[in-house]
Amino acid sequence: MKKEIIERISAIVGEEYISTRKDVLLTYASSASMAKEPVMPGAVVRPANATEISEILKIANEYKIDTTVRSGGTSLQGEVIPKPDGLVVELMRLKDIKLFKDLRSVRVGAGVTYGELDKFLSEHGLWVPITPESALACTIAGNTAVNGAGPGSSLFGCTGDLILGVEVVLPNSEIIQTGSETNPNAPGPFLRYAFGPDLTGLFIGSLGSLGVITSVSLKVFKRMEYFDYNTYGFDTPEQAERFLIEIRQWDVNAVFASIYEGPVLELFMEMLGDEYGIPPMEWPHRTVSMTIGRVRKDMLESDAKKAQELCKECGGWVLGVKELPRGEWNERLWTFVRASYVHGWHWRTLYHHQTPVNIHRSVEEITKVMDKYGFLGHTAGFFTDHASANMYPHLYFDPTDQEDEQKIVDAHDELAVTLYKTGAVPFKLAPFWKDKMEGTEKYMEFLKKIKDTIDPNGIMNRGVLGGI
Amino acid sequence: MNEVDLDDLREELLQCRRCGICREAVYDLKGFEGICPIWRNTSGFEPSFMRGKIQIAIALLDGVLERTSENAEALYQCTLCGNCTQICGAEFHPAHVIETVRGILEEIPNEARDRLAASISTNDNPYQEEASVKREWVKEMEFDIPTEGDTLYFTGCTASLRMQETAKNTARILHAVGEDFFVMENEPCCGSVLLRTGKQEVARTNAERAAKAIKESGAKKIIVSCAGCMKTLKKDFAELFDLDLPEIVHIVQYAAQLIEEQKIPLKNIETKKVTYHDPCHIGRELGIYDEPRKVIDGIPGLELVEMNPNRSAAICCGAGGGLRSYDPDLSKRIAADRVKVAEGTGAEIIITACPFCETNLNSGADLINSSVRTVDIVDLLAGSIKAQE
Ligand SMILES: Cc1cc2nc3c(=O)[nH]c(=O)nc-3n(C[C@H](O)[C@H](O)[C@H](O)COP(=O)(O)OP(=O)(O)OC[C@H]3O[C@@H](n4cnc5c(N)ncnc54)[C@H](O)[C@@H]3O)c2cc1C
Ligand code: SF4
Ligand code: SF4
Repeated sequence: MKKEIIERISAIVGEEYISTRKDVLLTYASSASMAKEPVMPGAVVRPANATEISEILKIANEYKIDTTVRSGGTSLQGEVIPKPDGLVVELMRLKDIKLFKDLRSVRVGAGVTYGELDKFLSEHGLWVPITPESALACTIAGNTAVNGAGPGSSLFGCTGDLILGVEVVLPNSEIIQTGSETNPNAPGPFLRYAFGPDLTGLFIGSLGSLGVITSVSLKVFKRMEYFDYNTYGFDTPEQAERFLIEIRQWDVNAVFASIYEGPVLELFMEMLGDEYGIPPMEWPHRTVSMTIGRVRKDMLESDAKKAQELCKECGGWVLGVKELPRGEWNERLWTFVRASYVHGWHWRTLYHHQTPVNIHRSVEEITKVMDKYGFLGHTAGFFTDHASANMYPHLYFDPTDQEDEQKIVDAHDELAVTLYKTGAVPFKLAPFWKDKMEGTEKYMEFLKKIKDTIDPNGIMNRGVLGGI
Repeated sequence: MNEVDLDDLREELLQCRRCGICREAVYDLKGFEGICPIWRNTSGFEPSFMRGKIQIAIALLDGVLERTSENAEALYQCTLCGNCTQICGAEFHPAHVIETVRGILEEIPNEARDRLAASISTNDNPYQEEASVKREWVKEMEFDIPTEGDTLYFTGCTASLRMQETAKNTARILHAVGEDFFVMENEPCCGSVLLRTGKQEVARTNAERAAKAIKESGAKKIIVSCAGCMKTLKKDFAELFDLDLPEIVHIVQYAAQLIEEQKIPLKNIETKKVTYHDPCHIGRELGIYDEPRKVIDGIPGLELVEMNPNRSAAICCGAGGGLRSYDPDLSKRIAADRVKVAEGTGAEIIITACPFCETNLNSGADLINSSVRTVDIVDLLAGSIKAQE
């Protein structure tokens, strides 16, 4: 990158917070995304606030520099890999947290992680009830930009559903605020759907290609204290899927309900059973692991009873292994990282949403590519939102074997097409989905028009949001 | 040292999935309040914390990055405190791996490392002091300490050359409880610094020499007061060099047991609110958390208030891994950060069980003009014993 550019950015953030050192650039060439070639940027900058970011984007526009916004760097689908000689804007210095107790909301800077926010809110008896499984490293802003989900989603929906507004530095360097806070006289964030169309929504899932989210305002809730943990066994996928729907229909407060294939659980329990305190056992064809949560005890008791009734009505039986959901829920900020890394393989994922009655279709498609290409993998999913399930297939490979790695990349490509055909939808419109979504041409054209209008020089994360 | 297989090493490095949790995880449930002291006290680019260090290590080993001191800075800018290891979900020990990589990349210039190694080779201590000076403190004791016996007090270079009060107070405790102990005429250096900074081959020769000298001394039991010596003699000698030593205990373990058995009558010392800083070498590396707290509880007059984080999630004092020599300013900033946490507890003093931690935390306190001083646990224990005499 040109020296004069570095000098100008340096004058904004201070020499300490910009680097062009090769060792530093190398560490920004990759992220948690596996089987993805690293790309060396030309510079990395760590601004302190929205004003500095705005000044940086002015320069980026002037020189038409490819710019990648990066927060925790935990994204798994290549969303934060920079462009050659591009500029990485890393946001982990934006650490402000402001609570609006009476508005039941909080505003966080782009560098705040879920772990930090959870600790802060727990001191007030509150929480943000959805936490992605990378919660200790990823930011709320980053998870907004990827439209994430996680434990808590079974009741509260996706991350986007909690958001009341965002502050964004647009690619043209203007700073805007959305939601009720657009009114400078407003006491804080209390309503997302203010001032006409949902411009907040434009930035949810925008993958850093429509602007830099510098703060996120979101809903907070009274922390639940009463939980019921249980597992439910089923002989067929259809029974288990029906159970999930009935749970929602009957307003059973399942904060986290996951569905697992028997062999997948067996594999994981072989590795983690001791850590979870679960004795070896034969798992049924399908297991639903569920945590029900309530603020009030009487409601919890009623929900737990209803869940057991519904399980039987759907043809299942109560397994009673409580350690699995208890571990998943109580240690949700970390436990999945452990489960994902304990086995030593690397993996690629292709996050998607299925309808609950179609969960088995994702399993079938993944099994097919596994058989065809000959590798290990699995998929599990958790209930999310109104009638949807967040699926997170893991395709395993050996990182020291290039052939194996290529096999996964090819299988992954194929899977994007076949999963899409089952009716699944990508909620993180990562580049993996580019050209795989037949029938979305008009939608993508419209999205591109928006992108071109907001970012006429095409500097922000070019080619990442579904390839645009 | 057992030969390092480069393929195995690479495979270990590839266990890192770049999740980034080792940067600054705040995980209330498990007591983590941030992870990496380097990230917190530098400008915070990726190479400052373990995820970046591992990427750089791989690139240096693979030849993607040229082996220059600038490119390798991230490897040395690390206290090897192991807090990242504590939170990491993958099946490897990131801090140990970085230590191994330092050894493999010994060709990369590092003035501080080479200076320390040269001093240990020549003088048997990293402080460029004459080897004979090491036992000088014994002459100032109010009782005789022999050069042979069954129980060896392995003083360590820092206590014998820089923090003599620690050595003297440890000796006073042992004397007070009637332990017949000796201090070697020519005590070797344990070589902790060599291992941490990546001089593995020199460390091996040094360890073999040290183990031989200890064996020849006839010691049946070793007591140490330095956390670094403890970790090196107890763990590294066995695991890295297959060297057997007699039973080794840290003075806090020794004292905790005696307190439990009510064999040290302790008297009130001036009432003080204190906090305890867990040294990485006996904490995360050896799991010695309860014993120092038992000792503190056993000293009448002391009220223990815990810092958050503590125990296995404690943040390092900044002195480890050779950082105090490699980048003294950063090392002291880290110490100052820890002192601020101690200040937040309302404690008047910080107690620790490692001369490195003591020195560095006091340097950190000076940096921010803090009145909170750090003392070694043996100083208070000896004081309490004296009060009852
Ligand atoms: C072990 C593990 C488990 C995971 N589990 C989950 C899970 O349960 N649910 C889930 O949703 N995800 C999960 N992920 C994926 C990842 O953590 C999420 O995508 C995460 O929210 C990304 O946040 P980040 O701060 O790390 O963003 P980054 O990885 O830094 O960036 C992600 C994307 O968002 C953009 N971006 C980041 N910050 C901003 C900003 N402030 N403004 C505009 N654009 C921005 C980037 O340009 C990039 O496109 C997991 C990842 C790992 C490693
Ligand atoms: S060292 Fe462990 S915690 Fe750190 S990025 Fe790698 S896998 Fe994650
Ligand atoms: S060992 Fe300590 S200093 Fe080194 S990277 Fe890990 S946490 Fe940071």
